[in-house]
Amino acid sequence: MSVVKSAAAAEDVIVIENLNKWYGDFHVLRDINLRVKKGERIVICGPSGSGKSTTIRCINRLEEFQEGSLVVDGVEMIDDVKNIESIRRDVGMVFQHFNLFPHLTILENLTLGPIWVQKKPKAEAEAIAMKYLERVKIPDQADKYPGQLSGGQQQRVAIARSLCMNPNIMLFDEPTSALDPEMIKEVLDVMVELAEDGMTMLCVTHEMGFARKVADRVIFMDAGQIVEENEPEEFFNNPQNERTQLFLSQILNH
Amino acid sequence: MDNYQPIPARPAPVKTVGAVAWMRNNLFSSIPNSIVTILIATFLVQIIPPIVDWAILSANWTGTKEADCTRDGACWVFINAWSQQFFYGSYPTEEIWRINLMLVLLALVMIASFKLPKAIRMKASIIAWLALPFIGMAILDGRLLGLPVVSTDLWGGFSLNVFMAAASIIVAFPFSFLWALGRRSDMPFIRSVSVIFIEFFRGVPVLSLFFMGSVMLPLFFAEGTNVDKLIRVWLVLIFFMSGYMAEVFRGGFQAVPAGQYEAADSIGLSYWQKILLIILPQVIKVSMPNILATFVMLFKNTTFLLIIGIPEVVQTLQTALSNSYWLGGHAVEGYLFVFFVFWASCFGMSVMSRRIERKLNTDKRD
Repeated sequence: MSVVKSAAAAEDVIVIENLNKWYGDFHVLRDINLRVKKGERIVICGPSGSGKSTTIRCINRLEEFQEGSLVVDGVEMIDDVKNIESIRRDVGMVFQHFNLFPHLTILENLTLGPIWVQKKPKAEAEAIAMKYLERVKIPDQADKYPGQLSGGQQQRVAIARSLCMNPNIMLFDEPTSALDPEMIKEVLDVMVELAEDGMTMLCVTHEMGFARKVADRVIFMDAGQIVEENEPEEFFNNPQNERTQLFLSQILNH
Repeated sequence: MDNYQPIPARPAPVKTVGAVAWMRNNLFSSIPNSIVTILIATFLVQIIPPIVDWAILSANWTGTKEADCTRDGACWVFINAWSQQFFYGSYPTEEIWRINLMLVLLALVMIASFKLPKAIRMKASIIAWLALPFIGMAILDGRLLGLPVVSTDLWGGFSLNVFMAAASIIVAFPFSFLWALGRRSDMPFIRSVSVIFIEFFRGVPVLSLFFMGSVMLPLFFAEGTNVDKLIRVWLVLIFFMSGYMAEVFRGGFQAVPAGQYEAADSIGLSYWQKILLIILPQVIKVSMPNILATFVMLFKNTTFLLIIGIPEVVQTLQTALSNSYWLGGHAVEGYLFVFFVFWASCFGMSVMSRRIERKLNTDKRD
């Protein structure tokens, strides 16, 4: 395993051991092993269908798995509903298609979790929401509805919505794939800031510039397996595996 | 190089706007179209004046008895003379204010669900709606409120149609939502019970259900209990309606993207928080046109209640038509009146549902 840049706290917040998952007969995840330390930033890339989204969706139990073990924040993810809900409160997730709640205003989108899950008073929840809206630089949109915002703004709201729950870990599932080129940067900027603040992040993305800039480790997946993992410089300049070389040549040379 | 300058918007060419252009585009765009336009225009010219003449110009408007209808046209005196029966059935005249009070309450709750301040609107209007059928029942019946008891045999007329339809759909609403949830459940027992229920009430004619309600249902009650016929029919309407609405809601559930469930899960909402706060409002939004269509169907189906001898509006009309003082043959006026009353109500609801849809539509940009 490679050297880790920011091993300030050497505590593993995510431990995945021999994870296997099937959709019916189809073996989607094969012997996944992954340890993530507190504060570590990990970028997962790979061709479509390689299981990268499925892997991070297992971490907050949006997907179930059949074999292996998964420990998040010291809690083993088993079929216990209480466990799952408490883990979900600690793990924020940002989706490719934002998935904001279209019938609620931006502010209501952000305060929903703090009010209903964390049982905070409304005023406090709104103060938290405004703090994070300012952090993603759109406090002036608080009273609009998601449908009135651009894609980039919606994705920043989605990030703020996760942050309002004060998570220890943030999962990003292709956060910029559905955005127009002009809007990718504004979302990546927010993510870079978040990384600089020391958030533990797992990010499925094809933004290789982002990976070089903030990742401690880059993981390459293909056909449900982790093919290669390394720190970004080594990963991009000196990929070991033939499959990785082919993938990188395809996404970097166009 | 010149600076980029946006081109200002120009008005559309004159030929494409205005009444003449509209007529050319829509009525006379080709020779066959022009022929059809002329044929339809001739037909309308032939048919409209006699109708206007019969219904308005030579109609009889004033009077109290059949003998007052001396002119050739429609005898609206008939409707006038029987209007209390048509609207309130045989409900005692001095107690009719109770029916009016019930209708006013219905209207108030309707207005409240639009106009209350946003903070309490949801909670307050849901509670008000769910309480309304039972409050209405108490007002009409009177015994719980210390008013003179009016037996359900005397309830009737159009107000009964309105009351039965409204009371059924309100109670059916939460049930149908649960049936739809059940049908999507992962648990085989709950799913099959829901499927059987929904398919039974959708697959059986409503008339046979009414007969079942009035004749068969009493056989299932414990001996000695005597459940009022109107209540039994109300139960039947609730079951029937919730079967249909469950399917409407199921369509709505399918229109909510999986990402909404995942986003709700990812912020840690519990199952019921997710369903009630995130999914249900979106389901109602996409289902609104179909909810209205189902309600209109149910509302009109309440006229079938005459088959089992409940004096709803068509039943009272038939009583009026066979009354020995009014044997002049006023069926046309009577049925036209019923058409109009139902049409006006349904059109009103349709306007209201469009308003609700607009209110729920948050997708528009400023």
